[in-house]
Amino acid sequence: MLVKLRGKSLSVKELEKISLILKSYKLKIGLGILLSLIIISFLEPIITRCVLGDMDPLAPGTFEKFLSPSMEHLLGTDHYGRDYFILVLMGLKNSLLVGFLGALLSTLIATLVAFSSGYKGGLFDTIMNSVTNSMLILPTWVILASIVLYVRGIDIFAVSLLVALFIWPGSARSLRAQVLSLKNKPYVDLAIVSGESDIEIIFKELLPNLTPFIMFRFSSLIIGAIFFEVSLRVIGIGASEYISLGLLINWFLTRGAIGAGYYHIVFPPIVLLILIFSSINLINAGLDEIFNPRLKKVTGE
Amino acid sequence: MRAKRYAAFLIRQILYYAITLYVSFTVIFFLLRLIPGNPIRIFQETIERSYGGTPFSDEVIEWFVEAYGIKDDIFTQYVKFFQRSFEGASLGPSFIAFPTPVEVLIRQRLPWSIVLLGTTTIVAWIIGIIIGTLVGLKRETKISDLLFSLMLVLSQIPSYILAIALLLLLAYVIPIFPPRGGYSPTVELNLLDLKFILSAAYHAFLPALSIILVSVCGWILSTRALTINILGEDYLLLAQAKGLRKSRILIRYILRNLLLPQTTGLMLSLGGIVTGSFLVEWVFNYPGIGSLFSQAIAFRDYNVIQGITLLTMTSVLTANLMIDLLYPLIDPRVLHEEVGKK
Repeated sequence: MLVKLRGKSLSVKELEKISLILKSYKLKIGLGILLSLIIISFLEPIITRCVLGDMDPLAPGTFEKFLSPSMEHLLGTDHYGRDYFILVLMGLKNSLLVGFLGALLSTLIATLVAFSSGYKGGLFDTIMNSVTNSMLILPTWVILASIVLYVRGIDIFAVSLLVALFIWPGSARSLRAQVLSLKNKPYVDLAIVSGESDIEIIFKELLPNLTPFIMFRFSSLIIGAIFFEVSLRVIGIGASEYISLGLLINWFLTRGAIGAGYYHIVFPPIVLLILIFSSINLINAGLDEIFNPRLKKVTGE
Repeated sequence: MRAKRYAAFLIRQILYYAITLYVSFTVIFFLLRLIPGNPIRIFQETIERSYGGTPFSDEVIEWFVEAYGIKDDIFTQYVKFFQRSFEGASLGPSFIAFPTPVEVLIRQRLPWSIVLLGTTTIVAWIIGIIIGTLVGLKRETKISDLLFSLMLVLSQIPSYILAIALLLLLAYVIPIFPPRGGYSPTVELNLLDLKFILSAAYHAFLPALSIILVSVCGWILSTRALTINILGEDYLLLAQAKGLRKSRILIRYILRNLLLPQTTGLMLSLGGIVTGSFLVEWVFNYPGIGSLFSQAIAFRDYNVIQGITLLTMTSVLTANLMIDLLYPLIDPRVLHEEVGKK
């Protein structure tokens, strides 16, 4: 009777989980916003071609300076007389690209650090753990800024890599805690007894179980990567060859667009960044609601 | 016995602090020198780009190289670097206000940043914990749920984005606050003058508001989650079953258990708060360290950049040490665990 009841409640739980994914309005709204932004940024080259034809979107003086929004220029033009709508699209594309690349690389670093130190333990673990903790505490962005400032000809991939080198510690720390709790589970003992090597255990036993968690960290790291990159560009660090939302903000702050009242220049990058950050945060909150049993138990959802 | 335990704890924390400080100074030193190119040349190119004019003669460059001590081999530089930073707290001459030493520039700006950052960090932390606990306790109500969703959206927005929004809204569209600066140019810089203090507070309002709003959201979210977790603990059920007064449960059981992780949270977030405030200062052209940093960046002022990097590292680590040393007051268990480990 009890077993039957338990079996029943389990399957109900699974059903609940699926319906929660479908019902979670946070997840739906977040995914909806983020996906549309990604689709728009994928369409950027096509839109640029349709609007500007063969003209270089970055060439200064193509149009008049600071034109108001019109049918020809949906968001007007900037201080160099370039179509601002296209610039915003390029900025969106590059910012998202840095976000995903940076998050990918830093997830890789975090996973590597967490598994190599958490699984083996010992002196290496102690050292890596204090490095992680110190990097978490220190304002590493300032160091990153000083480095990026002096590296010449830096492109979008180099920036993503440098950003990734600085944002991994938070994820490494929480992943390591997961590895530590998992490696004492009976099924890992069983694997050790049955003669699996460390590599096999990590890839066959631990990694599959932590995949949802790593995905969760990945989406938080997107926020981190975009935050670091935009912050650099906002105060004017990085090559002006590639447009990012941060660079657009730097331009309107330093070229007097805000004081002169050209609000159509100010709003788009700000609104887009707020949309990016809040949509990813909504996705994370939605995932948390679904996968965190503690939250459910108490709130009775 | 207790004093002995605390002494052991004290030594451990200070030792850890010294090692971290030494390692981060070393890392910064080598990172900045690994970068190819001569900082003097880069500075000269920046000046040329911005103002035109003739390039420095070789003699001038030679003189600068001498004055900046970048002629020696890297190990001599390394030793001198530590001697200068620890003995005399001397960070070398600056470019942007040559030949004013970097430490003088920093000293002028530091009080502004300390007041802005200190106040906003503490105010945000306290407000966040209070509201967060309430939101957690009343989580079934509609208002609490609404507030939670709002916080969720707001909490990840960088403070400087909010700063730009506030600047636009409250300084340009509806001009009730000054858009830039630390105090009105019509008043004199005098700490004892009420006019100056009022003007400084008036100018600091928007920067402070943008930092506080964003960090309050973060603290509310984490406090809410912690409160909900604590509400599910068995010891709370026991406390309620014992019939303890609600206020006692709130203070002795909920708040006390909240404070420890939130203090750790405060330590971990200090670095991020400093970063955020740098950019907020730059948006409002507030006369603190953050705007000095962005000025130095615009002119590639090597010594100022290095000086500010070292300063922020040191101050964040020192703030952490101070919180660390107060830790046993909030949680006496720390001392026992430290001893237990050995």
